[in-house]
Amino acid sequence: MIRPHQLLLGVGAVLLTARPALAQAAEANALSSPDSQRTMLWFVLSTLVLVLMVFLLLFVAVIAWLRPQLRQLYALPTVHDTWSGRVLGLLVGDARLVQGDVRDELMDHEYDGIHEFDNDLPPWWKYSFYATIVFAIGYVTYYHVLKTGQLQGAEYAAEMQQAALLIAATPDDPNQLTTYQPLLVPAELSSGKAIFATNCAPCHGAGGEGKVGPNLTDEFWLHGGEVNHVYKTIKFGVNGKGMVAWKGKLSGKQILQVASYVLSLQGTKPANAKPPQGEKEAPGKPVAKL
Amino acid sequence: MQAEPLAPVAAPRAPLIPSAVNRAVDTFFYDNKIVRNFGIATVIWGIIGMAVGVLAAFELARPEVNMGTAYTTFGRIRPLHTNAVIFAFVGNGIFTGVYYSLQRLCKTRMFSDVLSKIHFWGWQLIILSAVATLPLGFTTSKEYAELEWPIDIAITLIWVVFGWNMFGTIARRRERHLYVGIWFYIATFLTVAVLHLVNSAEVPVSWLKSYSAYAGVQDALVQWWYGHNAVAFFLTTPYLGLMYYFMPKAAERPIYSYRLSIIHFWSLIFIYIWAGPHHLLYTALPDWAQSLGVAFSIMLIAPSWGGMINGLLTLRGAWDKVREEPVLKFFVVAITAYGMATFEGPMLSLKNVNAIAHFTDWIVAHVHVGALGWNGFLTFGMLYWLWPRLYKTPLFSKKLATTHFWLGTLGILFYAIPMYWAGFTQGLMWKQFNGEGMLQYPNFLETVLQLVPMYYLRGIGGVLYLSGVFLLMYNLYKTAQAGTLLANEKAQAPALLPEAQDPHVQPGHWHRWLERRPFQLAVGATVAIAIGGAVEMIPTFLVKSNVPTIASVKPYRALELQGRDLYIKEGCSNCHTQMVRPFRSETERYGEYSKAGEYVYDRPFLWGSKRTGPDLQRVGQKYPNSWHYNHMLDPTSMSPGSIMPPYPWLFENTIDYSTLPNKIRVLQGLNTPYPAGFDKLAVADAQAQARGIVAELKKEDIEVKSDKEIVALIAYLQRLGTDIKVKQ
Repeated sequence: MIRPHQLLLGVGAVLLTARPALAQAAEANALSSPDSQRTMLWFVLSTLVLVLMVFLLLFVAVIAWLRPQLRQLYALPTVHDTWSGRVLGLLVGDARLVQGDVRDELMDHEYDGIHEFDNDLPPWWKYSFYATIVFAIGYVTYYHVLKTGQLQGAEYAAEMQQAALLIAATPDDPNQLTTYQPLLVPAELSSGKAIFATNCAPCHGAGGEGKVGPNLTDEFWLHGGEVNHVYKTIKFGVNGKGMVAWKGKLSGKQILQVASYVLSLQGTKPANAKPPQGEKEAPGKPVAKL
Repeated sequence: MQAEPLAPVAAPRAPLIPSAVNRAVDTFFYDNKIVRNFGIATVIWGIIGMAVGVLAAFELARPEVNMGTAYTTFGRIRPLHTNAVIFAFVGNGIFTGVYYSLQRLCKTRMFSDVLSKIHFWGWQLIILSAVATLPLGFTTSKEYAELEWPIDIAITLIWVVFGWNMFGTIARRRERHLYVGIWFYIATFLTVAVLHLVNSAEVPVSWLKSYSAYAGVQDALVQWWYGHNAVAFFLTTPYLGLMYYFMPKAAERPIYSYRLSIIHFWSLIFIYIWAGPHHLLYTALPDWAQSLGVAFSIMLIAPSWGGMINGLLTLRGAWDKVREEPVLKFFVVAITAYGMATFEGPMLSLKNVNAIAHFTDWIVAHVHVGALGWNGFLTFGMLYWLWPRLYKTPLFSKKLATTHFWLGTLGILFYAIPMYWAGFTQGLMWKQFNGEGMLQYPNFLETVLQLVPMYYLRGIGGVLYLSGVFLLMYNLYKTAQAGTLLANEKAQAPALLPEAQDPHVQPGHWHRWLERRPFQLAVGATVAIAIGGAVEMIPTFLVKSNVPTIASVKPYRALELQGRDLYIKEGCSNCHTQMVRPFRSETERYGEYSKAGEYVYDRPFLWGSKRTGPDLQRVGQKYPNSWHYNHMLDPTSMSPGSIMPPYPWLFENTIDYSTLPNKIRVLQGLNTPYPAGFDKLAVADAQAQARGIVAELKKEDIEVKSDKEIVALIAYLQRLGTDIKVKQ
C-alpha cells in the first residue's frame, strides 16, 4: 500500500528533477529538517493544483464561448463519426454518446404481454465494462506476469521492515535482564494500579490475591520477585504456563509501572488469598506503597 | 379500501408477425394454488427467519438474551437465521414467482401437479429439519451449507423434482422462444445443483455427523466458491428472473433493452463463479487464486449493473406510477439496493479495502443491504402484486402496504448505518498503532465494547423491518378473505406448430436460435459456470506447491478431535476466526500469521468469516487450562464486560466417545495419517489426555471429572496453532 506522504514524495521528486532551479532548492532542503521539506512539497503540490485548475477553467470558458461553432463542426458528417468527432461530441454535450441511441423500437415478440425494446447497450455501461476488463488484465499482469506488485508475503515483510525502522531498536533478548529500580513516585504507582486493574486483575485478582494466576502478595515467586524478574515475566510471559506476554501491548514504561505496583502489594494479605506457589524469597529492598 | 379496477396490461403495439391462419387454440388452466401456497410459506418463514435474526442481534448486545439455554446461543441460531432467510424465505419466494411466471411465459400449466406438491412439501420438510437440527448443534459448520448429510441428500432430491417440473413445463410450452426470465431460472437450477453437490461432498460418521471430503485450504476454496455463488445463484439470478417478469408487469412498460439482457445474462453467470476467492483475501489461500478473485470481482460490476439498468430504465414513462403504487416503490428500492450492493461488493474485493472491512460488521451491513433491500423488497412487491390477482380482488389496503414500505426502508437504514459505523470503527481500531509502535487497542475486548451501542441500534432496525412484514401478512390475509382463490385460472393459446411451419422461427440473430432450444441454452449456461470453478479448484487440489506441507504439523489427538467437534457443534466459528492474516497489526496481536500447511488435517476448515471475538488460531498454550475453564463457565470472570455467552452445559455433558472409533476410521479413509489400528486405541488415548488435563486443573483447585465435554474443548483450544510455534 502506498501511503499519502510517499505519494507526495514521489510527485515531489518528479517535479523537482524536472526543474533544475528547484532541484537546487531541494538539495538545500535535504539538509534541513523533514518538516520544512514537507512544507516545501505541499507548497509545490498546491501550486500545481492551482495552475491546473486555472487551465481547466480557461478551457471550459473557451469551450462554452465556442460552443455554437463547435456544434456546427460536430454536425458535419465527416467529423461526426470519427474518434475525434466523438470527443468533440462529449465536449458539446451530446447525451447520446453517454446514454446511447434510445430508439425505443419494440422487438417483434411478446411474452405474456411483456414487450421488449431493442435499445443499444448504454455506452457509459459498455465502456465501464471494457475498463473493468482492462483493469482485471492489468491487475493479474502486474502481480503475476510482471511480478512487480508485492503479494501478501512480500507486503508483510515490507510492513515489518518499515516498522522496525520506526521503532527505536531496544534490546529484546529475554535472557538479558534489565537493571531498573522499582518506581517509587505515587503517580507512577497509580498508573501501575490502573494498568493492573484492566489487564492483570482477571487472572491475579483485584487485590493481587491470585485466581487463575498466582498470588502476588506473598513472598513466594514462581519466576523471581526482584523487580527486573517481574518485569521480564510481564514482558515476555511464560510460554505454556498461561502468563501472557505483554510486549507490544504495554510499553516498557507501563511494564515497569505495573511491576512496581505489584511489588507494592507485598504483605497486603487480601481476602481469599491463593496458597503460596514457587520459591520463598528474602524480602528485597523496601518498596514504596500506595 | 380502494376498489379501483386493475388496469389492463397495455400492449403498445401488435406483434409484427401475424399468427398463422386458423390455428387451433388450446384452452388450459394455470395452477394458482401452488403459487399461493409457496407465497404463504414465504411470509411465514420470513417472519420466523427474521425473528430469529432479531434475537441473534440482541444477543450480541446482551448475551443473557439467549435465556441461558444451549439451543438459543448465538453460535447455534445464527446458522438457523441465515438458513431460514436464505432457503426458507427467499427460497419459497423464488418458487412463488417461478411457478407463477413460468406457466404464463410458457403458456401452459405446470408440468405435473404431483411434482409441484412434492416440491412444496419436500422443501418445507427440509426447512423443518433445519429448524430441528441446527439448534441441537448438528451442523457441518460450512456457511449456508450447515445442514448435515441426510438433509443434503433430501435437498438434492427435491431440487431434482423442481428441475424436472420446470424443464417438463418448458418442454410443453406453447411459446416458441424462452423469455429472459426463464434463462435466469435455468441458470439458477443448474448452478445451484452443481454448487450443492460439490460443496456437500462429505463422509458420514454417524446419522448426523460427517467430515468434509476436503481439508483446510481446499475446503475453504470450495466453501467460498459455494458461499459466494449461493449469493449469486440463489439470491441474485432467480430474483433477476423474477424482476424481468414482475417489473414490466407492474409498470406496464416494455423491458428497456433486449440486447442488454443477453449481454448481462451471459457475462453475469460466467464471471460470478470466479469471484469466490475474494472471501479469502490475505488468508492462506494461494496468491494467484486470490488475485483471480479480485480481478473477476471488478469485472462483475458492469454485468450486475446491466440488470439494474434494465430494471430501472424499464420504468421510463412510468415514474409517476411509483408515487401511487407501493409495488413499484418496493421494486425501485429493491433494484437500487441491488445496484449498491453489487458495486460495494467489488470495492470490498480490492485488497486494501478488504484489509479493513473483512471480519468486521461492514460485511454484515453489506449482505443485509442485499438481503433486506434486494431480496426482501422484491419479494414484498411481488406478493402485493400477486395476491389481488390470485384472489381476484383489489389489495385490502394500499395505505398499509405503503406504511410497510416506509417501515421497511427505515428498518434497512437503522440496520445498515450502525453496522457500517461499527465496521469502520472496529476495522480501524484493530489496525491502530500508537507512537511507540504498539497496538493502540491491545485488548481485543476494548474494540468490541465500542460496538455494543451499534448492536442495539441494529436490533431496532431489525424490529422495524420485521414489524413491516407483519403488516404484509395482515394485508394479504385481509385481501384473501375479501376474495376467493382462483385456483385454476383459465387461459388460451394456440398450440406450438412444428418448427418448420412456425412463422416465429425466422433466421435472425444466433441468440434467437438459442432461445428456441432450452437444451442447448442449458448446456451453454453449464459450460459458462463450470469454467471459473474448474480453473480455480483443479490446480489447488492437484498442484502440491499450492499447499506447502509443514513437517511439524500432526493430526489432532483423539480428545482434541472430540473438542474440535464440540467447537463445531457450539458454532464457535460464527464469532471466532482461525486465520491470522499477514498484517503487522495481527501478528502483534495474535502471533505468527497462518500458513496453508497448518490446516491439512482440518475437516472442515474453521477459518470463520466474522471476528466478533478475537482470532483463536494461536490461542493454544497462551492461557492456562484454568483460564479456559473459568472463561467457558463465565466469560466475564476472565474478560470483564465480555459479550460471549457462558457455556455451563459443557460442564455437565459427558463426552460422547461412541462414534470416536468411526471418526478415526473415516479420517484414515481421507488420508489422515493415524497409525493403523488407532481407531481401537483412540478412546483410551482420549481418556489418558483428559486425565492429564484434569490433574493440571486440580493443581489450581478446580475439580472436574475427566469425561466432561469442557475437558475435550480445553484440549482442542490448547492445541490450536501450536504445531509451528517456536519453542522457547
